[in-house]
Amino acid sequence: MKDLPREMQPARALEERVVSKLVAAGLVRRRRVWPIWAAAVAAALVVSAIGVAVLRPTHTPAQGNIYVLLLAEDSAYRPAPKGHGAERVAELARWADSLDALGKLERAGRLVGPGPIGGLFMIRAADDSAAARIAAACPFRKWGGRVVLKRFEE
Amino acid sequence: MTDDVALVERYLRARGEDAFRALYRAHTPALYALAMRLTGGDHVEAEDLVQESWVRAVRELSSFRARSALRSWLCGLLVNVRRERIRVEWREVDAPDIEAAVDTSGPDDALDLERAIGTLPEGARDVFVLHDVYGYTHREIAEMLGIVEGTSKSQLTRARTLLRDSLP
Repeated sequence: MKDLPREMQPARALEERVVSKLVAAGLVRRRRVWPIWAAAVAAALVVSAIGVAVLRPTHTPAQGNIYVLLLAEDSAYRPAPKGHGAERVAELARWADSLDALGKLERAGRLVGPGPIGGLFMIRAADDSAAARIAAACPFRKWGGRVVLKRFEE
Repeated sequence: MTDDVALVERYLRARGEDAFRALYRAHTPALYALAMRLTGGDHVEAEDLVQESWVRAVRELSSFRARSALRSWLCGLLVNVRRERIRVEWREVDAPDIEAAVDTSGPDDALDLERAIGTLPEGARDVFVLHDVYGYTHREIAEMLGIVEGTSKSQLTRARTLLRDSLP
């Protein structure tokens, strides 16, 4: 009896079917799409100068509010050297994953159109200070990018 | 904290896709092998069983308290999903043929055994697979299947007798 295998690998497609079903049932949250726009950020096509700033809301919201982090490539933004864009994407990925693991990342996406703002993160934070700490830790800032923080109200 | 508990906690924290995939990849090969045995090698039904079991598992995962190993818990869940399906099938058809004749053709002993297991009555097959293939104790099987240990033992005896009679 010990010769019978206790593990067998099903078709790869099964994993995708299971994940899709769980997502549709609201039991699993889809992975963020940030790498798509983060790659574009790393390419740094738009550059105009305002500098790095984190605008803190003065209002103190109830616990668990949603905040929007807007990422702007102003003139101070230093594009990644040629061939090193992937490193920035990976660093942003680690940062986003760490938020996601804590249940603090709500959405992420790319903003298309004229202007320096190229992407956003929607995060959940207990209060303004907590949101500001998250924004301040965004790796985008150390490349000269500007991170604008706003509290989101429906 | 075991790896499994850590994986479960990571999933429950944010119900993220990556956390679920880690759980899925850690345990699906065992679930699929069990499902293949319980369905007599029907890979389509086995995949359906695995899928339904995962849906059930993530709904109930918050109640998993690590009293038993996660894999045992998942295997028990899969066996019960399978049993519920059979009960539904019985209501849908008048004469289910779940005890088809044993096909002992083929030179491979392992394949013969797989075929023979596939033809066992459901209760005996579940216990036989869990006990003799996966090494669960009667106590664990009783907990998984919601039966008493004595039933598990008698089903195992029945399965072994049927297999002895059916194998060349």
